[in-house]
Amino acid sequence: MIRSLLWILARRFASVIPVFIIVTMLVFGTLRLLPVDPAQMSMPPSASIEQVEAKREQMGLNKPVYVQYGLWVRDVFQGDFGQSTQYRMPTGALVLERLPATVELALSALVFAIVVGVAGGLAIFAVRDTPLETAGLVGTSALMALPDFLLALLFILFLGVLYPILPVNGRLDPGITLESDTGFFLIDALLSGDPAIFLNVVAHLALPVMALGLAFAPMIIRVLHSSLVSTYQHSYIEQARLRGISDRKILFGQALKNALLPVIILVGTQFGGLFGGTLLVEMIFSYPGLGNLMLRSMQTADLPIIMSVSLIYCATTLLFNSLADAGAYLINPKLRA
Amino acid sequence: MGRSRRLPDIRLLFGCAIAVTVLLAGILAPWIAPYDPGAQDLLRILQPPAWDEGGSSAHIFGTDSLGRDVLSRMIYGARTAMTVAVLATGGAMILGMLLANCAGYFGGWLDWCISRLVEIWLSFPPVVLSMLLIVGLGVGTDKVIFAIILVDWTRFCRVLRSEVQVARRYDYVAYARLIGFSHMRVIAREIFPATLPMLITLVSLQMGISVVVEAILSFVGMGVPSNVPAWGQMIADARVDIYSAPWGLALPILAIFGTVLGFNLLGDGLRRVLDPRSRATARE
Repeated sequence: MIRSLLWILARRFASVIPVFIIVTMLVFGTLRLLPVDPAQMSMPPSASIEQVEAKREQMGLNKPVYVQYGLWVRDVFQGDFGQSTQYRMPTGALVLERLPATVELALSALVFAIVVGVAGGLAIFAVRDTPLETAGLVGTSALMALPDFLLALLFILFLGVLYPILPVNGRLDPGITLESDTGFFLIDALLSGDPAIFLNVVAHLALPVMALGLAFAPMIIRVLHSSLVSTYQHSYIEQARLRGISDRKILFGQALKNALLPVIILVGTQFGGLFGGTLLVEMIFSYPGLGNLMLRSMQTADLPIIMSVSLIYCATTLLFNSLADAGAYLINPKLRA
Repeated sequence: MGRSRRLPDIRLLFGCAIAVTVLLAGILAPWIAPYDPGAQDLLRILQPPAWDEGGSSAHIFGTDSLGRDVLSRMIYGARTAMTVAVLATGGAMILGMLLANCAGYFGGWLDWCISRLVEIWLSFPPVVLSMLLIVGLGVGTDKVIFAIILVDWTRFCRVLRSEVQVARRYDYVAYARLIGFSHMRVIAREIFPATLPMLITLVSLQMGISVVVEAILSFVGMGVPSNVPAWGQMIADARVDIYSAPWGLALPILAIFGTVLGFNLLGDGLRRVLDPRSRATARE
């Protein structure tokens, strides 16, 4: 089974690679629409017209777009993602430095969303055919009308300003120093062995994670709830009940496993939404991750960074799509043919 | 299922009421807004709403950091949001519908190409793609509309394509071909009506999505020009004064939340009323 799972994953990735290549072309093309001159931006303002012209020649900006794209691909394969025009540093180093922060945020939010979503879906299903179920469903549809960045602002308003109980800025209090080896502050704080630092990291993560997670959780709640409802219409549930198996065992032993399939597919296909949401949430909480880097680069037309970060967002989305396919395959024997 | 028989009515009514209110506020903005949304009164900045301590009935929702009337800006914000939402939804609908009908009806290589196109589009987080487009296109109301169309046509295309595929297999479609209807006529007269319930639902949901995207882009300063009042921009302005004037932040958030909720409920209600199949299963 493991071998066929690997086979499915491999096939999935093989079909994703051409998509990703076209994505790189699209992003490259879109950014070439910009009326900015990367050559001029990468030179000091005192540079003469001849120097800028020479730089343009050197960067290949006088060549047709497809040749420029080819040059970009060649550089990428040599590990060169271009020079950031605002930081005057290699893009690869800048992006790698911020990547762990965003991954930590997105994964924490995903775990939070799944826990809240599955618990919520089960809770609403447990009170089915009562007014509580209706209330729960109405609550989730209300929550679905609140996108992550509005939740983030509301949390700041209520839990940061009106009742200031959680920090709303950055990843750590300014006074605390943390030796960061991995870039993942949760791990680093655990390794440091100081519970105060760990709690501080968790407190800083709390609001952004809640904003992202609670924007995602209602979808999981609704899909799990309706999937449970339709699972319980199958005859095997009734048969299990007639054989005297307890409700709890039916739910956790049989029904939930089948009902989770649409949830896994939902998480895989919608993860891009959550990951894209980190962009605004990071900005709102001044969280030093990729999103903040991206927004700043967009304001200053820092093309190499926009390009690299966009591609990270797309690659992650594609990766989670593939993982969801593999997960669906694991859980559903019918797909294993 | 007595519940499912009663609920749609409430959803529909509630959603309809909100949608009509916001649309009317947008259309009638020049007549119902008490002040010019851009008029500054620097002697009366950051006034609280009328019901709060220190508020006055001259500015029911208070004033912002430049002394502009918040209520008027909210009403004009509705005008911006609805302009963008209606045009962007219309554009995304037409583009998505055209491609969905081509793919679903003709199948074959056309279907393959369009499906791959959708797949490519879906590998972008929507927020990232819309911002990238704005970076490429520049700022402006028309650019925002264009960006939303270019991002969200896939929502229509994906769902409608499978609807078309189902409708194409109905007997009456084959008969229509047999009695000599052209492909165009079959699509327009036989396929399109079959996909209409889903289309109407999608339009309603897309209105809400467009409002959110416009708010996001205006919030980060990549949306409508700064002299056009927009909810996202009001949020960005009010964020600076969050400690001294929390209401300024809360009110535009409420406006977005209410509008999106309204269109979501409307779409949800319409789906239940229009589509008999959705009564049987509660699938999303």
